[in-house]
Amino acid sequence: MALLTWLERLHFPDWDDPSQCMFHRVTIDLDKCDGCKLCTLACPATVLEQYGEKGRKKVRVRADVRGCASCNNCYAICENGAIEATRHYDFVGYYRQLGRGEFMKPRMF
Amino acid sequence: MAEGAARVLAVEDPEEVEKEAGRGARIPVVPEGAEWNAVERGMLERRSIRKYRKAQVPAHVIRRLLEVARFAPSQGNCQPWKFVVVRDADMIRGMEDFCVAQCRKLSEAFDYAALPRGSLKYRLARIKARLLGRLQPNALHPVPMSVATNIAQGRFAVFHRAPTLILILADKRGIGSPPIDVGICGTNIVLAAQSLGLGTCWIGFSQLLNQSREWCERLGAEYPYEIAETIAVGYPVGDTTHMISRATHETFWFEGGKKQVLY
Repeated sequence: MALLTWLERLHFPDWDDPSQCMFHRVTIDLDKCDGCKLCTLACPATVLEQYGEKGRKKVRVRADVRGCASCNNCYAICENGAIEATRHYDFVGYYRQLGRGEFMKPRMF
Repeated sequence: MAEGAARVLAVEDPEEVEKEAGRGARIPVVPEGAEWNAVERGMLERRSIRKYRKAQVPAHVIRRLLEVARFAPSQGNCQPWKFVVVRDADMIRGMEDFCVAQCRKLSEAFDYAALPRGSLKYRLARIKARLLGRLQPNALHPVPMSVATNIAQGRFAVFHRAPTLILILADKRGIGSPPIDVGICGTNIVLAAQSLGLGTCWIGFSQLLNQSREWCERLGAEYPYEIAETIAVGYPVGDTTHMISRATHETFWFEGGKKQVLY
């Protein structure tokens, strides 16, 4: 059986349609986030930004920038474990991800 | 089978050869559940670094990286690479400016998602992206295209203002598939760099420099060479060594006449 149907192979997803290009699978725990902004430095897609008043600053995902690649650089740099991508990005059609399982930390065998 | 042919095909038992040479017989199996060793830990803790301290990396440290690169495996030992080290901020800025200009062209021509929806420009870009996407699905992919737009709009730097760049040029005449050898070679560089406390980032967008005759001449990226990849090197800002989660991948495992699917 083909891994991608011909219909899928011919379908190029619309870059500006979030139901066809599924990015931004990152969750932020606002209780743990101290708004230090380190994750905004580490993000290769520049989708993170600091917001809020002085003393109560937090980080959020920007609405106007797309392309979070679930790389977890934000998790790697966060001292508080406040931010994490928990699923890989995915597409409908030609670029649909194949054979991806759960997100997991390095496992020791 | 002819006697001569049989003699050529006969392979000596390598373990017998080893024993006769008086070399060790112990098989070094790592115990189950053992802690990560230094190499594994380095691989797992390495992230792509895009913010660097201003301090330059001492020259001898870069020479160490080039030295481990030289011993990377390659197809037929053809070593289809040439290194170009750039440590002058002015020159890096010039390379940055050229790549940004190219990203701006790319973004304006194709990234309809960054244009006002429904406008004539939007519709034109979308048609172009769809047509060309079928010919170049790897380049006109939604991920790099959004990065090109971030670069074009000044949110993101191509070379991340790293103090040192190591360009890896590929010799197009290499055996088999030179870009794979370049990748293997560069992996030696980034893992050695990690072990020395340095941060690195692969910069595929540096291939845009191949479009400039001036930069190609200056960097020596003339036939048979082309810029395959660039590795930014510098001391990282922030501690990025918390091990992260990643997707597991479907893996076929054939053993004992059976097929298993693992993740």
